[in-house]
Amino acid sequence: MANDPTHIRNFSIIAHIDHGKSTLSDRVLELTGTVAARDMQAQLLDSMDIERERGITIKSQAVRVNYTADDGEEYQFNLIDTPGHVDFTYEVSRSLAACEGAVLVVDATQGVEAQTVANAMMAMNANLEIIPLINKIDLPAADPDRVRAEIEDGLAIPADDAVLASGKTGEGVHDMLEAVVYGIPAPTGKEHAPLRALIFDSYFDAYRGVVALIRVVDGHIAKGDRVRMMATGAEVLVEEVGARRPAETPLPELTVGEVGYLVTGLKDVRQVKVGDTVTALHGGVDEPLPGYREAKPMVYTGLFPIDGDQYEPLKEALEKLSLNDPALVWEPEKSHALGFGFRVGFLGLLHMEVIKERLEREFGLDLLATAPSVEYRIHKQAGEIITIHSPQEMPDPGEIVMVEEPYLKAKILIPPDYVGAVMDLTVQRRGTFVTMNYLSQTTVEMLWEIPLSELILDYFDKLKSSTKGYASLDYDFAGYKPSKLVKLDILLSGKPIDALSFIVHKDKAYDRGRVLCEKLKEIIPRQLFEVPIQAAIGGRVLARQTVKAKRKDVLAKCYGGDISRKRKLLEKQKAGKKRMKAIGNVEVPQEAFMAILKVDD
Amino acid sequence: MPHDPYKALYLHLPFCVQRCGYCDFTTRAVPTGSTEIDEYVEDLCLQIRRKAKEGELAEVKTIYIGGGTPSHVGTSRLSMLLYTLSLSLRLEPDVECTMEANPDSLTERMVRDIWALGVNRLSIGVQSFNDSLLETLGRAHSADDARRAIVAAQERFENVSIDLMCGLPGQSANNFRASLEEAVSLGVTHISVYPLTIEKHTPFARMVACGQLEEPDDDVEAEHMELAEKVLGQAGFTRYEVASYARPGFESRHNTAYWTGVPYLGLGLAATTMTQNSNRRMRMQDGQVTDDLDARQMAAEDLMLGMRMSRGVSDERVAAASELLPDVRTTFEELARDGLAVHEHGRWKPTKTGWLCGNELYGRLFDLAP
Repeated sequence: MANDPTHIRNFSIIAHIDHGKSTLSDRVLELTGTVAARDMQAQLLDSMDIERERGITIKSQAVRVNYTADDGEEYQFNLIDTPGHVDFTYEVSRSLAACEGAVLVVDATQGVEAQTVANAMMAMNANLEIIPLINKIDLPAADPDRVRAEIEDGLAIPADDAVLASGKTGEGVHDMLEAVVYGIPAPTGKEHAPLRALIFDSYFDAYRGVVALIRVVDGHIAKGDRVRMMATGAEVLVEEVGARRPAETPLPELTVGEVGYLVTGLKDVRQVKVGDTVTALHGGVDEPLPGYREAKPMVYTGLFPIDGDQYEPLKEALEKLSLNDPALVWEPEKSHALGFGFRVGFLGLLHMEVIKERLEREFGLDLLATAPSVEYRIHKQAGEIITIHSPQEMPDPGEIVMVEEPYLKAKILIPPDYVGAVMDLTVQRRGTFVTMNYLSQTTVEMLWEIPLSELILDYFDKLKSSTKGYASLDYDFAGYKPSKLVKLDILLSGKPIDALSFIVHKDKAYDRGRVLCEKLKEIIPRQLFEVPIQAAIGGRVLARQTVKAKRKDVLAKCYGGDISRKRKLLEKQKAGKKRMKAIGNVEVPQEAFMAILKVDD
Repeated sequence: MPHDPYKALYLHLPFCVQRCGYCDFTTRAVPTGSTEIDEYVEDLCLQIRRKAKEGELAEVKTIYIGGGTPSHVGTSRLSMLLYTLSLSLRLEPDVECTMEANPDSLTERMVRDIWALGVNRLSIGVQSFNDSLLETLGRAHSADDARRAIVAAQERFENVSIDLMCGLPGQSANNFRASLEEAVSLGVTHISVYPLTIEKHTPFARMVACGQLEEPDDDVEAEHMELAEKVLGQAGFTRYEVASYARPGFESRHNTAYWTGVPYLGLGLAATTMTQNSNRRMRMQDGQVTDDLDARQMAAEDLMLGMRMSRGVSDERVAAASELLPDVRTTFEELARDGLAVHEHGRWKPTKTGWLCGNELYGRLFDLAP
C-alpha cells in the first residue's frame, strides 16, 4: 500500500542556482514513468514563463510519483519544489516544513556555493534529513572528491555516501531514489487523530476557486468533509482532494503523511494562507501547527500607467494578479507629476520586478514605477501616530516629533575572507553589527540589524559583488526603531516632482541628493530649454545640476531617398517618447524614477 | 495607380574613385576603365529612353545627376548620357540640369563638354579647404585641387555650388570660417553646409566604436551652423533651407522640388522615385515601396518638409491642411510658444532653434497624421 505512512517519502530538492535541480526533478518524473519522455518539456516544474526565463521558481510545486524500489516495495514520493529567492524565504520555510528530507544538489565542477550553504542551513533548521548529491559527474572537469570534502568541511554533512549523478545522462538518478527510500524517514503522525494539515501554497483557479497544496500531518481529509482554516477562520466544504502526477488526479482522501491538493471553492486566495493549518470544523484541534506568519508586504512602490487611459486596465490587471497572490496589496494613489495610479506593496524587490514584468507582458501595459519605499511610523505633535507608505504622505517637518523605520535582522553567510568587505558595506548602509559565528573553517555567519530602507537600495547586489557572489542573505523583521529621517525633494525646472521625492537618513541626505542629481542629469535627455535639477530638504537646496538646452538635433541632408529615412527616424523618435512621461514640459524617461536605487556611493 | 506627371528627374551613378570614411551612399570604388561602368551607363540610357516613350518625362523641369561621383565616369560616357537625355526630353536652358563632380576628376574638357550638352549647374564636393581635414575625411583631392576645379568650372558655369562640412574632428570654428570665406571669395553662387553625421556601417562608425575618432559634438555643430549663417549672410547669401545657402536667384530648383511635394522620378541603382495623385503618395527604391502615404500623411509631410525652408508654409497651405488635420493650428501655436516657429507676413516660418532642433519641429508636424 503506497499510502501506508511507512511507504511515503516527502522531500525537496535544493541547490545553488544552475546546479541542475530542475533537470534532476525532470529525470525523477521520467524515470518513475510519471511523464512519458516524449511529453517532457525542459524544466516541467517551473510553469510560468518568467520562471523559466529567469531560471527561478516563484510558486511552490508538489508532484507525486510512485516508485518501486529495489526491495520490491512500492513507495509514494512527494517531491516538493520550493521558491529560490530571499523574497520568498517564508514560503520556502513552509514548503520545507512539509518534508522530512531534502536532496542537496551540488555541482561536481563548481562545488559548494553561497546558496548551497543557505539552503542547507534552512533544511537543517527545519530538521530535515539531508542527502548530498554530486551532480554533473559526466562533465570532464567534474571533481567529486574535492566536492565531497567541501560538503563535509563547509556544511558538516557526512558525504562519504553522497550520490554521484548526472541529470543530463540520467546516471545515478536510480541511486538517488534508493537513497530517498533508505535515507529519508517516513512521516510520523497520528492516523486516528483529528485532522491537522499544513498549507504550503495556494493559488486561484478560475473554475474551482482557491486550490491549496497541503501536507496532512495528522488524521485524514476527504471530499465532502467540512474543514476550517485556523488563522483566517474560513470554513470550507471540501470539493475535491487529490495528488498531482503532475496532472491533478482526484483521490478519495488524503491521509496521514500524504501531500496533495485541496479544492476549497473559495473565491479569495487571502482566505487560504501559506502556513495556515487546516482542521476539521467539528472535533478539530485547538492548537495550530507552529510557524504561521502573516505574509506582510515589505516594500511599496507607486505604479502609474504612462498613458492615462490605461488606469482602468491596470486596476483590472492588479485585481487578476492578486487573485493568485495574497502577498500583493494595493490602493489607489494620485501623484501631481504622474496622475492616477496605485501604491502597491510587495514581499521584496524581486517580487516587485516579477509583478511589474507580468503586468507589462501579460496585460500589455506600459508602466512607470517610482522608487520603492518602506512603511514608516510617524509620531506627530498631537500624540497621533500615523504610518505612511510613500514619501508624499510625509507631514511637514514642523508637525513631526519622531519618525520610526522598520529594521531587519539580517543573517549573512560568507567565507571568512570577506568579513571585512561585508563590515564596510553594511556599516555604510547604517547596519548595526550584532555578532559573528564561525560555522566551519569556510563559513562565517554574521548577524546584523539593518534598516529595511537601506536593504531595498542595491544592498543585495553590492553584497554579492563585494563577496564575489559568495554571500547569502536571509532576513527577518526585527521591529521599528526611531531614526533621523527627512524627506528629500527633487525639483525639475524649479518645481518639486512628488514622484521623485524619497525619505532618507539625515546624515546621508546630502550625498544621496548630490548623486541622484548627477544620475538624473545623465538620464534626462536634453530638451529645447535648460532643465535645472535640484535636491532640497524643506526648501533648502542641497545639490544642483543642469541639463543643458539641446542645441542641435536635425538631419541636414534631406533629398529624394532621405525623406523615407527621415520618416523612419521620426517614427523611432515617437516610439522613444512613448517610453517617457511628460512632467510639466519636461520629458522624463522611466529610469529616472528608479535612479535612486542605483546610487553607487 | 494614375499619377501626376513627374517634374523632376534624378539619375544615379554609383561609382567613385575611392570610398570616403563618412559616406553611406549607394556607391562603390570602381576604376574609370571598368566595363562595368559602360554597362551601367548603357542600361541607364535605355531606361531613360523607355520612360521617354512612356511619356513620363514630358513635363520634367529639373534634372540632377548625382552619385557616387558622376565626374568619375569620364567625359565620353557622360556625353552619351547627356545626348540620350537631349533626345528624351526638352533640355533647354530653362530646365535646371545639375551634375555632381569631385575636384579630382573634373577636367577643363569635361567642363566644356557637359556645358555644351546641356548641364547648367555644377555641384562640387569640396567639403573643406583644409588639407589635413580632407585627409581625415578620406577625400581623393587636396584644397588646391578644389580651388582649381572651381576656377575651371567657372570658365563656363555661372551657377557653381559647393558642399562644405562642419563639426569635423579637429575642426575649429576659425578653421571652418576660413573655408566659408574662401568659398565666398572664389565666387561660388550656392553653398551646402552639412554637419558630419556618423552613419552606421561606415569606416567612421567603426572608428568611433574603437575610440579612434571623436564623436561629433552637437554643440560644436550647432555653433558651426550658426557661424555659416552669419558669415554667408554677411557675404550676401540667403539661407533658404536648413543646409542650403544661395545668392539671390541661385537656389536649387531641383532640391526645392523635394521639399515642396513635387513628384520626382529616380533612375539608376537605389534612386528614389516619388509618385503621387491627390490622395496617395508613394516612394519607391529598386522596385520596393518605401513609403505609402494617405492624404492626411501627405498633408503632414508637406508641412514638415515646407518647414525645412526659410519661407515656411503659407496660411493658405495651413488652412488647406486643417481640412484633413484638425489639430494643425494648435500645433503651430505650440511650436511658436516653444520658440520653434514664428508667424510673419501670412506665413509660418522656422526660427533658428526650429532649424537647429528640426527633429523636434518635424516630429510634431509628422505626429499630426496617425
